[in-house]
Order: sequence, then C-alpha cells, then structure tokens
Amino acid sequence: MDIDILARGLVAGSLYALVAVSFNILYRPTNVFNFAQGELVMLGAMVFASLATVLGWPWYAALIVTLLGVGLLTLLIDVVAVAPVLARSQHGTGWVITTLAASLIIANGVNRIWGPDPIVVRPPAPLTTDTFSLAGMTVSAYQIFLVLLTVILVLAIEQVYRTRQGKAVLAVAEDREAALLRGVNPLRLSRWSFFLGGAFAGLTGVLAAPVLYASTGLGPALLLKGFAAAAVGSIGNNRGALIAGYLIGVTEALGAALLSPGYQEAVVFLLVLCVLLVWPHGLFGRPFARTV
Amino acid sequence: MTMASNAGQAGDLLLSVEDVDVGYGHVGVLEGVTLSVRRGSIAALVGRNGAGKSTLLRAISGLLTPSRGQIVFNGRAISRDKPHAIVGAGLLHVAEGRRLFRSQSVDDNLELGVYGLKMDAAGYQRRLARVFELFPVLEEKRRLPAGALSGGQQQMLAIGQAMMREPVLLMLDEPSLGLSPLLVDQVFAAIMALQQAGTTILLVEQLVERALEIASEAWVLQNGRMIASGPAAQIAASEELRAAYMAAH
Ligand SMILES: Nc1ncnc2c1ncn2[C@@H]1O[C@H](COP(=O)(O)OP(=O)(O)O)[C@@H](O)[C@H]1O
Ligand SMILES: [Mg+2]
Repeated sequence: MDIDILARGLVAGSLYALVAVSFNILYRPTNVFNFAQGELVMLGAMVFASLATVLGWPWYAALIVTLLGVGLLTLLIDVVAVAPVLARSQHGTGWVITTLAASLIIANGVNRIWGPDPIVVRPPAPLTTDTFSLAGMTVSAYQIFLVLLTVILVLAIEQVYRTRQGKAVLAVAEDREAALLRGVNPLRLSRWSFFLGGAFAGLTGVLAAPVLYASTGLGPALLLKGFAAAAVGSIGNNRGALIAGYLIGVTEALGAALLSPGYQEAVVFLLVLCVLLVWPHGLFGRPFARTV
Repeated sequence: MTMASNAGQAGDLLLSVEDVDVGYGHVGVLEGVTLSVRRGSIAALVGRNGAGKSTLLRAISGLLTPSRGQIVFNGRAISRDKPHAIVGAGLLHVAEGRRLFRSQSVDDNLELGVYGLKMDAAGYQRRLARVFELFPVLEEKRRLPAGALSGGQQQMLAIGQAMMREPVLLMLDEPSLGLSPLLVDQVFAAIMALQQAGTTILLVEQLVERALEIASEAWVLQNGRMIASGPAAQIAASEELRAAYMAAH
C-alpha cells in the first residue's frame, strides 16, 4: 500500500477541519448552521486567486481584502437571513432555508462573475507545491505547511474563547437566558461570530486554493465534508473537529486507494453514519448540557 | 411617587412596578400587579408555588415584556428595555435554580459577573477579594467547573457573581431552595451583609418567616394578583398571608 495516502488524507482532512471550525464559530452563539459556509470558502478562494494570481497583488494584500470581504458578507447573511428569523422564534428552523438561499445566491453570483474555469494559485515563496520525498511519502512543502497551520489555527481559535467576549459566547451557548441576565447582548456576539466565522471560511478557501485550485465547484464538497467533520467531532467542539477532519480525510484517501476513487464518498459517509449511530453527539461528547 | 434625580437618597423608591399585566404568549399570569422597593431596603415577595413571583422578576429584568402598565427603575421607565440594558442600569436578577454556566470554571463565572463593565485589574481584584471574603469556599474551588460544586456552593457562586457587578438592586429568586439549614443561615447572612453594604434587595423566598424577619416591607402575591403589602412584621401576622398559603388555585 502506498503511504502517500496518509499525506493526501491529512491535507484534505485539514481543509475539512477548518470548514468544521468555521461552522462551530457561528453555531456557538446562535445554534444555527450556516449552510452558505461551503460557498463562502469557495468565494474566498476565488477572490484571493483573482487578486493574487490574475491581478498580481502581493499575497498579504490579497489575503487581507479576502478575509475582510468574506467576513463582511457573512455578517450581512446574519443581518439579512439569520437574525430576523431568530427574532421571530429563538427555536425556529427558518434559517435552514434562508442560509441555503444565501448559499445559492453566492454560488450563482460567483458563476456569473468568474465562469467555470479553475484558476491555478501558487503559494508564496518559500512555500511550493513541488513534491519531494519524506519518510517514504511524496509531499510538498505547502502540504506540510497546511497541516501544521491548521493545528495552529484551531488552537488559536480556542484562545479566542479564553477572552471575556469568548467566555460570553460560551455562556450564550450553554444557557442563553442566563447569559442575558448577566448583561450579555447575544445579537452583538452573533454578529461578531458571523464576521469571524466568515473570515475563517475565506481563509480556508485561500489555503485550499493551491491544492485544489480555485474553482466554483469547491463549495458543495467542502460544505458536506466539513459539516460531517463538525458532527463527528461533536458540534461546537473545535479540537473534536480537528481530529474528525483528519479521520474523514484519511478514510476518504484510503477508500479511494483500496476500493476505487468512485467509492471514496460512499466510504466517507458510511463512516460518518456509523459514528453517529453509535455516538449521536459525535466522538467528543456533548459540548454543553443545554438548558432551554 | 416620581423620582427627582438618579442619585437618590435612602428611603426613596428605587423600583416601582405599576399596574402590570404579564403573561407567556396568550396565557396571562399577572394581572394589575403593583410593587415598589425602597432604596437601601430589603423587600420580600412571597406567595405559594405558581403565584407568579418568578414571572414578576422576569418581567422586571426584561425577559418578559408587560402587555400593560409600566416598570420604573431609578427614575427611568425600563418596561420596554432589553435585558442587557437593564443589567447595565444596575438591576440584577439571580434566577431560580441559580443558572450558572456549569461547564465554565468558578473564576470564569465570576468574571462573567462583570461582563460589559470597564475596570482595571486592581478594581477587579478588589471585587474578587470581597466575594472570597464572604464565601471563602469559592476561592478554594476557583478552578473547578461550576457544575462540580455542591448546591450550596453554587448558590454562593450565583450571589458572588452578582456581587462582582455591585448592583444597585439585586433580585434573588428562591436563594435557599434545596440548601441545608446551615447553608441557609450563610445565605441569609450574606444577604444582610449585602444590604448593609448598600445594595437594595428584592427577595423571593419560600422560607417565608425567615424572609419576613430580614425584610422591612413585604408583598404577597396570590394567583397573579398582589393581595397584600405593608411592613414585613405586619404582613407576617396578617390574615392575607395565611390565606395566600392555604388557598387552592
Ligand atoms: N414558560 C412558561 N410558559 C407558560 N406558563 C408559565 C411559564 N412559566 C411559568 N408559567 C406559569 O405561570 C404561573 C406562575 O409561575 P411562576 O411565576 O413560576 O410562579 P412562582 O415563581 O410564584 O412559583 C404558573 O401558573 C406557571 O404554570
Ligand atoms: Mg418561582
């Protein structure tokens, strides 16, 4: 068996973990899954590719504009499509439709502007996608960077929840009404979380572009597997999402290698189904006992 | 009955609830309820289970909006304000069942007590020291999750968390619920210490006699209506109080 599978699995798994974390960031204060998250990743990849590759901007300028742009668009999704639904009923599920609508609008808009052709994105020096041999695996410097950076980003996001505002987000997640009685304004925290979660999705797109190319087809696959990683890792649990992302990425690569690439999706979702049948709240338990 | 200024003097009305109706959706619970609390005092709100005491506190703290009447706190109408704005004005509600953030540590819960307040590290430490002075056990357990504390310790944490904010008016809903007699003594001692330090208190208690001992005024709620009010000692001996606890719904 070819051990490159492991490298490929970890790279894909990193991206799934990042998408899952961006889901969690939005979920914690709102209990809402933003189904536009996959298309926001795609949008991040397209905007960054256009600025950096097509227009030739320096990578850091392209990165900043991408994160701000996708973050602000996600904030707009909260203001237009999520907050009004929750204002009517805190436990309503109208957001399923409104965030799916946002997803379709973004996908259509991007298709209009960019068309279906993928854009090749090269990582900035000294990172390259040129492969070399490491411990019997064929890897690139960029792949190693991506896997390491993912771990760092997940740990950094966890640090956000050690700040006072972050603790307030966890408080809202655990007992919204009790948080209200401590002076927390959940709407304000939701808006910040949407901005942060959107920027994080945009960053995921930027990081995905050199390995997957920037293309309009990126969204749905990342949405599904990122969501699967969030569920398997227990919704709201970012370290769980990291481990689940790797688990799904490696399973997918194994499925492709051992069976055939045609079966890789089936293998992934069989795994997800089995895990969730045995542990309905994912591998890492319920993050909080909710009192409603 | 209107307030002249925000600064206020001991004895003037800090909170007044004026003829409010409150319910859940279309189900009415409170009808024409009036209540007032003097600055610096302890007021007791009593009545049997289901009378509407918690509902009244929830309306005062903005979790419910009255469909009629108004609520004035510190000279300002608050009946349409959001809960966070009411907390910001210095009115704090420690809900029934304590409602701590069980997965977060004792320290984090105390820190959330000052959410939204600007203060330097020294000011924060001074407030923390006051809480630990009153409840030393919290200092020993400060790194544990709140959910790991005993019922009595959780009640101390809930009061300590409220103290961190140094509220103008503190509303406590059934603070002695589920506590052993020794802990009940501690909680009542803490309530009196808070009042001595200048905090006005509105106390909902099922231990009616004890509540009326430390309160100066008392309000009796029955089936969503205020049936009696007056000096606590007078209420303690009143026919209405007996009726409120005997009457069927
Ligand atoms: N969330 C709710 N929805 C509907 N009715 C409620 C709700 N909470 C309380 N009630 C009703 O309101 C009435 C007063 O309850 P409550 O204020 O909790 O009384 P108390 O605190 O005096 O025991 C009760 O009849 C109760 O059934
Ligand atoms: Mg009650």
